[in-house]
Amino acid sequence: MIYYGCDIPENLYYDIERDVWIRFEDNVAVLGMTDLAQTRCGKFTALSFRDVGKVVQQGKALATIESAKWVGAFPAPFTCEIVETNEKGFTKNILLANKEPYTTGWLVKVRPTNLENERAHLVTGEAATEKYKERIQELKINCLRCID
Amino acid sequence: MSRKIRLLYMEGVSPLRSQTVYHAVGYAMKQDTPNTIIMVAPNAPYVCVGYHQDLQKEVDLDYCAAHGLPVYRREVGGGAVFLDNGQLFTQWIFHKEDLPASLEERFKLYIDPLVATYHELGIPAKLRPINDVHVNGKKIGGTGAAQMGIAEILVGSLMYTFDKKTMSKVLKVPSEKMRDKIFESLEAYMTTMTEQLGSTPDRVAVKDLYIKKVAEALGAEIYEGEWNPEEEVMAKEIDARFLSDEWLYQKGQLRQQGVKIHQDVHIVETAFKAQGGLIRVIARLTEGRIDDVTLSGDFTLLPSFALGALEQSLRGIAATPESLKSKIEEAYYRLQIQSPGVTPADFTIAIMNAVRLPQPA
Repeated sequence: MIYYGCDIPENLYYDIERDVWIRFEDNVAVLGMTDLAQTRCGKFTALSFRDVGKVVQQGKALATIESAKWVGAFPAPFTCEIVETNEKGFTKNILLANKEPYTTGWLVKVRPTNLENERAHLVTGEAATEKYKERIQELKINCLRCID
Repeated sequence: MSRKIRLLYMEGVSPLRSQTVYHAVGYAMKQDTPNTIIMVAPNAPYVCVGYHQDLQKEVDLDYCAAHGLPVYRREVGGGAVFLDNGQLFTQWIFHKEDLPASLEERFKLYIDPLVATYHELGIPAKLRPINDVHVNGKKIGGTGAAQMGIAEILVGSLMYTFDKKTMSKVLKVPSEKMRDKIFESLEAYMTTMTEQLGSTPDRVAVKDLYIKKVAEALGAEIYEGEWNPEEEVMAKEIDARFLSDEWLYQKGQLRQQGVKIHQDVHIVETAFKAQGGLIRVIARLTEGRIDDVTLSGDFTLLPSFALGALEQSLRGIAATPESLKSKIEEAYYRLQIQSPGVTPADFTIAIMNAVRLPQPA
């Protein structure tokens, strides 16, 4: 679904409050910022990842993002262990998440450690797009992507 | 938004506390904590680096040690800055639902009262999006933002004075030429209340004026409140963290290079190895044009005056390979330049390498 310029792929899971998308691949989850999140954040200017192997509690930072002098967390949608970061991709192009938030702009791959108890808030498909429509209206956001 | 905002007015605190107070209020914030504005000035000078900066790469630590300047890392973005009592920091610690969702709108909300304060003092300041305050093309203070716990933070300052000379000395730069260029650019592109008005306005009057402008802009009552014991406990924890080597020397990760003077002006330095020698380039870019360029290196270029003339000919041109190459070739022809092993194409590559560096935030 594209709504006010914001792309919300229906095949992904979302933690809407934290504006994180999730793609489950076997026992690993790929995480990234939604189109809405990267728009609100603006162009990345710096990024630091927590170490691979670290267990991060739900809501705590998997990475710290800097943009237009704002610094904030990329939060864990559930408690998880970091198995890989996209440091290589962002080293080549710091704007990856601003350009392709759902593909090459993924941020971390994690192994959930308590998913059964921490997944009730995740939504997907039509439920996700309906919730995002409300959120986009509430926040009055038009999504934008970086070209270069 | 709650219509009542707590004000904490803290002139003359230690340099460390001038940074840790807003972190403490942010991290100690609970659902029932009032939105808070801190107005704080340090009682001594210091250097403050951005969250993602690599301290050893960005700050001349020997200079700071020799001059008794402490260095702290904040949890807000941006670059290294020299701070002293010449600035009154204005720090907002708000609940996120009380601020606009987009950063651009958030910075506008924060900057509008600063601009209104300057206007009432007779200074024609304006917002330069996203987050600068300008007076006739010169920057008068910077701003920054962060998320801490459940709080969203906005920081900036009312700038009475700014020590540009010391600012240029505390930065670690590849060459003294670059340092000179930074100082020259700070002189050209930064200003203060004292410079604009010819004298320094009364600090309490400026504080009161600012609070009046914030109250008008937000439609809120601002009351002078108390720093609470939980915030003091949090501040002590953050003081300790900010003084730890682990925090201070943490390595910067993925970050852009160069020195930003203001939103439209950046200084970059690069080197390019041509067959006839190394070409060093220091370029000042203003709104996508080469405002100033210095070329140096170990190559030979004759006649001896031609290098300066070449630099001069590049000022003001668009920073594109085509326009650069054409201008350099024209200078080679006009000045009969000879530079064994170094061609106009090499100079073009060297300058474009500088121009193409991602600009610092």
